[in-house]
Amino acid sequence: MPLEISAVKSADLRKVYRGKEEVVALKGVSIEVGKGELFTLLGPNGAGKTTFLRIICTQLFPTAGDAEVMGYDVVSEADEVRRQIAMVPQDAATYNNFTPWDYAYYFARLRDIAPSEARQRAEMALRAVDLWDLKDRTCQTLSGGVRRRAIIASVLSSNAQVLMLDEPTSGLDAVARRGVWSALRDLVKQGKTILLTTHLMEEADIVSDRLAIINRGNVVAFGRPDEIKGLMKEKFRVIISGDFVPSSTFGEVTKLGDRNIVYVKTQDEALDVLKASLKMNLHAEVSPVTLEDAFVRLVGKVEQP
Amino acid sequence: MRITKIAKDTFIIAWIKSYPDFRRNPLQLTLIFMVSGVPLFFMLMSSSGSNTLANGLVGAMISSVAFIGVSAGVQDISWDRYVKIREMIVAMPVHPVSYALGVALAPLLFSIPSLVFYGILLAYLGFFTATTVAWIVPALIIVWAATSSMGFMISTYLFKASWMVLNNLGTLLGIGFVFVPPVYYSEAQLGNWSWLSVVIPTSNAAGLIRSDVGLLPISMGTTILRWAVLIMTTVVFITLTFAKAKWREK
Repeated sequence: MPLEISAVKSADLRKVYRGKEEVVALKGVSIEVGKGELFTLLGPNGAGKTTFLRIICTQLFPTAGDAEVMGYDVVSEADEVRRQIAMVPQDAATYNNFTPWDYAYYFARLRDIAPSEARQRAEMALRAVDLWDLKDRTCQTLSGGVRRRAIIASVLSSNAQVLMLDEPTSGLDAVARRGVWSALRDLVKQGKTILLTTHLMEEADIVSDRLAIINRGNVVAFGRPDEIKGLMKEKFRVIISGDFVPSSTFGEVTKLGDRNIVYVKTQDEALDVLKASLKMNLHAEVSPVTLEDAFVRLVGKVEQP
Repeated sequence: MRITKIAKDTFIIAWIKSYPDFRRNPLQLTLIFMVSGVPLFFMLMSSSGSNTLANGLVGAMISSVAFIGVSAGVQDISWDRYVKIREMIVAMPVHPVSYALGVALAPLLFSIPSLVFYGILLAYLGFFTATTVAWIVPALIIVWAATSSMGFMISTYLFKASWMVLNNLGTLLGIGFVFVPPVYYSEAQLGNWSWLSVVIPTSNAAGLIRSDVGLLPISMGTTILRWAVLIMTTVVFITLTFAKAKWREK
């Protein structure tokens, strides 16, 4: 169903990299991101997430199809689009002699924000990523995760309406990652739109309002995290440690070395599997299916050695 | 985009590209830029006479702005691509002209002490007066604009080049613009081929500065013609840059 007001919209977006070998990175991606929502592009490496984001960010021309941000076309109205967006590229490194303050303050200044307001925004951004106490340390003296947060602060201090972050938390520890999630959700609460790419399932599940799973240049699923999980016919999973011999009456079993994940449709079935494993003196744990289960089911099976 | 916004962004980028480094190593950076023209002194040591020294000093002035123009374009912008700052700036409301000029302006700020130093030496040798500054400064700015825009354009075509290639290319271009043409030496040494120096902005500017300080006799008509050529070649370089530079990737 089309959204009433969309911040980002793509229709049949295609991208072909021409070189010695032709690589089709996007095969007609149509996505609509509503204003004020956090939308995640989830996909395996090489799925086309970054290519999509780079086209939306006006860094890359599409081969075919249309894309717009806040109603502006990314090809013909790139200047307008750039006023609406701020982005953090994947694997961005830092200038050694830059400080977190330099990132937050000077990038705000490049957005035509007056010095006094830029200072306020920089402080807000640095506090949001818990870098205020380290604001004057040069990046070469900071850990990789802290540097990453400094780059994220450069986006948080902007006045852009749509923030695009390409795997912003990769390389961050769990505490720092949650700090970034918290900052992102605060921004959504303030009315910002966020387009995020990640291959971290927990991140996609916790922070996203909606998400799209991209695989090999195609959108294979689209919706809220619970809707994506709902695409699986099984609703529960039982993780069993040890050599478990599943009965043919059980649901699908995924073997991960000496661990087995048994997928079942109902709580009663889960209980049956639990009893069976306990009879074999094996440790078992029941939980609802996760986004990762749905993702693996949609994108591909786990490769067995 | 408004001209004032382009100008303001140019200075912010120049500040970003210079101040954090300067803040950390002020003396080291100033000294490095001051001695960047030192190779010429090896050439000068082997000869004698104040004219040769003065010719070399003019060359050093041109070198201070031209070499950084080309290398800023090729090496610094490529570094920005590596750390992905460039990607962030492309996605911002920043004009490519602001970026190219800002990147090239940063090392120019560091070069000011060396330019002053070379000027003082020229004045000591009796080739430099206050009135000549009015001609030398615009000539240096034009050369800087021409070489930095060319460096920027080249960098935009080298998306996939390795860091090693870019480093060497920056050096090669610097040599091509500064050491091969008559920048450090007088164009008179080219004999019948001296006209070639007019079409290259670096050697043309060097000739004009030499004429200005009395090292090279050029008629008034030729001087005007050469200024026109210098401005035109620079306009062509800049136009070519912003018509052909690949700011967004295909």
